[in-house]
Amino acid sequence: MERMSRFSAVPSGDDTRSSPEDASGPVALARLLQQSAGGDESAFAELYDLTSARVFGLVRRVVRDPAQSEEVAQEVFIDIWRHCTRFDADKGSALAWMLTIAHRKSVDRVRSAEASRGRDETYGHANIDVSHDSTSESVVQRLDAERVHEALSTLTEAQRGALELAYLGGYTHTEVATMLGVPLGTAKTRIRDGLIRLRETLGVTT
Amino acid sequence: MTDEIHELSGAYAVDALDDVERARFERHLTDCSTCRDEVESLSVAAVELSSGLEMAPPASLRASVLSGITSVRQLPPLTEPAGRTGTATDTLGARDCDIVDSPAPTDRPTDAASSPVVPAAPLAGPTDDHAAETGGTVSSISEGSRRSRARQGTRSPWRGLIAAGAAAVLAIGTFTIVRSLTGEKAPQSASQQVLEAPDATKTVHSFANGGSATIVRSASLGKAVLVGTDLPSPGAGKTYQLWLQSKDSAFTSAGIVPGAGNQVVVLGGDAATAAGAGITIEPTGGSKQPTTEPLALFPFSA
Repeated sequence: MERMSRFSAVPSGDDTRSSPEDASGPVALARLLQQSAGGDESAFAELYDLTSARVFGLVRRVVRDPAQSEEVAQEVFIDIWRHCTRFDADKGSALAWMLTIAHRKSVDRVRSAEASRGRDETYGHANIDVSHDSTSESVVQRLDAERVHEALSTLTEAQRGALELAYLGGYTHTEVATMLGVPLGTAKTRIRDGLIRLRETLGVTT
Repeated sequence: MTDEIHELSGAYAVDALDDVERARFERHLTDCSTCRDEVESLSVAAVELSSGLEMAPPASLRASVLSGITSVRQLPPLTEPAGRTGTATDTLGARDCDIVDSPAPTDRPTDAASSPVVPAAPLAGPTDDHAAETGGTVSSISEGSRRSRARQGTRSPWRGLIAAGAAAVLAIGTFTIVRSLTGEKAPQSASQQVLEAPDATKTVHSFANGGSATIVRSASLGKAVLVGTDLPSPGAGKTYQLWLQSKDSAFTSAGIVPGAGNQVVVLGGDAATAAGAGITIEPTGGSKQPTTEPLALFPFSA
């Protein structure tokens, strides 16, 4: 979908499809964030309108539960408001910054929910059915962002699997290792190498 | 060691470190510009994994966000890394009071001595639960998160356990700052709530061949947390399992420790009514009842 390329979290650099000057492009988002940092609530409303589907989609994928997802997404936007004075456009795009917040909050929520839930599930922890969790709706299948899709296809199956469990599943690398039945060091390396390859293929610069 | 910790950049960038590892890595980041740069670029790459997931949120979200922000004060900009009262040295000094590396401070003087620059009062008004960050001190961050539950007179001596890592990272890049800030204030960090609870009590067990297991329990929260430090490997095909013990000595599983090394695990079950906790080594996947002698028992005070 066309909107996607403009929503690219990657600094536009060599991505000619994306026009950073667009009303919803990276420059516009950064500007809205900076205006919000000055207390401009209407700029923040505009920012919300341009990014809420992206933020909510990520939160929902990690948290899963619709009601909790809404709560988390609300916390995310409030936090973005609170912290937008700290946004530094030199360190990455506004959208990447916002999604970083969204991801962290989502992960914190699922981990704490797990910790406070009854421990019955713990018995089966080592046997969580990985295919049930993510293969059926693998990120690759759902990606319509062609560029990212292509980048992901350069990862090995093993790297992609580990990254999906960690990033979209919200599991710790220790859990990822257990779920995949590999040593912790292997899981760690797959996640890192996968990200490095993704970074290089996407031409991320910060 | 450095090589090994450097390897955590990827897991950190996708938020796949547990509380203890995260804190430790964030301390490492204060010293390692290579890792800082790597984390930032990997974080940007990681968010690409969320493309294609777009989903319109319920309309009610917009209204609650936009009305919500009207009552939220924005933080001052971070113009200089070291902020007002905290200097880079102070921030680094905060590392010393992280009991992950120096296990189990036993009393308040130890804690106070390790963070001498901590102001007695929050740095800003009582409504700003992020007042701490420009000050960059451990206790002020805890102050914020404690405030959200209740203002209490007593300070928990190990409150810096997790917050220390968050505080130590203040001077570094945008993404890592975001992580530490959003992490530390999360009301949902159950382990941190227990560790900082005014009525928290702890029992430490040191293993003969290194490492220790500390159980911190808050009767008021009805929860207990295991803080494992350098836990030795439980052996192939085995796992550490936690238990709550009732007054008649019956054991109920309180969950599995996901690995060795440094671990923070909230025990499942009601730690308010339990008489104590225990830790055993069990076959991977856990057992319904302990199958080995407990490595340690942690009686709770009544």
